[in-house]
Amino acid sequence: MTVARSVIYLEEVATGAAVEAELRDAIEEAQLADWQTKWQPALLAVLQELIRKGVSPASWPQSWHWDWRRKAAGVQGLLAFRGFAVVAQGETQGLAQVNLTGVAREQSQAGKPLVYLDYVEVAPWNRPELGSRPRLRGIGTALVAAAAMLSDDEGFKGRIGLHSLPQADDFYRRRCGMSDLGPDAAYQGLRYFEMTPTQARAFLAEEDGR
Amino acid sequence: MKLVRSKEWWMSRARREGDAAVGAGLLAFDPVPNERPTAAQTETAEENRIAFGKFVRLMRRRRGLSMEKLAEQADIDASELLVIESGSTHLPGARTVFKLAQVFDVSQPRLMELAGLATANDVGLREEAVRFAARSEALHKLTPEESAVLDSFVAVLSGKGSKRTT
Repeated sequence: MTVARSVIYLEEVATGAAVEAELRDAIEEAQLADWQTKWQPALLAVLQELIRKGVSPASWPQSWHWDWRRKAAGVQGLLAFRGFAVVAQGETQGLAQVNLTGVAREQSQAGKPLVYLDYVEVAPWNRPELGSRPRLRGIGTALVAAAAMLSDDEGFKGRIGLHSLPQADDFYRRRCGMSDLGPDAAYQGLRYFEMTPTQARAFLAEEDGR
Repeated sequence: MKLVRSKEWWMSRARREGDAAVGAGLLAFDPVPNERPTAAQTETAEENRIAFGKFVRLMRRRRGLSMEKLAEQADIDASELLVIESGSTHLPGARTVFKLAQVFDVSQPRLMELAGLATANDVGLREEAVRFAARSEALHKLTPEESAVLDSFVAVLSGKGSKRTT
């Protein structure tokens, strides 16, 4: 399989400079290796720091993964699905897995096909919610844009859907302009968001970069 | 699939993203750390849990192992080891305790009890655990006293030592 690579740009938070990056339309072994050897130890370091500071486990980041074995198995499984990876500075900066079997719930689009994002995660060093200044910014936008573009390519008119982690609700609601369809009891109460064709056009609009 | 946009487009979008968290999907989500069962929230379980964390830490230090190294030897998650040693309210997995008992060569059922995975009904073990927890301190190197306390507790966990009643 040939992996398509799009040149994108991320913001280096410390300097505000543009950093050239690649958006790849596949997750390859190298990404899983980065996850294993770089993401996981980085998260472990965060946990060590939280313990050192005496932060109660109940206040730890919501996406902290207790069971690395289960998590690793899940990440290994990403190879079998369609996915996206953002690579910059020689490292995997973000990952997303999508499937094309989703069906829209939003009232005006109900029943129509969409690209569903099973999984979106960025490298620990880019996650402001972990307490440190992120290194690079714009990875989430790139992954959502990739999913919307794929949806368009597939004839789904940019429709995408996902279940957001609680801390990320604001990103999907306000920064991506998606419709918030509320908590989904069948999905551990995570809020379900959809991007309609109109919202996708606005999100991907070339002239709208404000 | 190709996504072609200008550098300015990407930069303005990155700035708009700001410091927002972006995780989505159950694979990126993890529930709140394990809730301890009601029985394990008793004073006894609490004392045993603290002793369990101290025991693991001292045994690791005695062997001169880093957390990562012990996790590798026991084939367990380093993150869970870290949490166990911190003495937090995390209830360790049965497999984790089993593997630690193997590595440390102590009785698996007793270590399970100490870790809060089995009903704590052994008064002698509880007393030894409290004594052990009270006497051991997290120093860089084991003191002779720590070493002696650890030896004595290892003997109890191995079923070789006598349990004092005082």
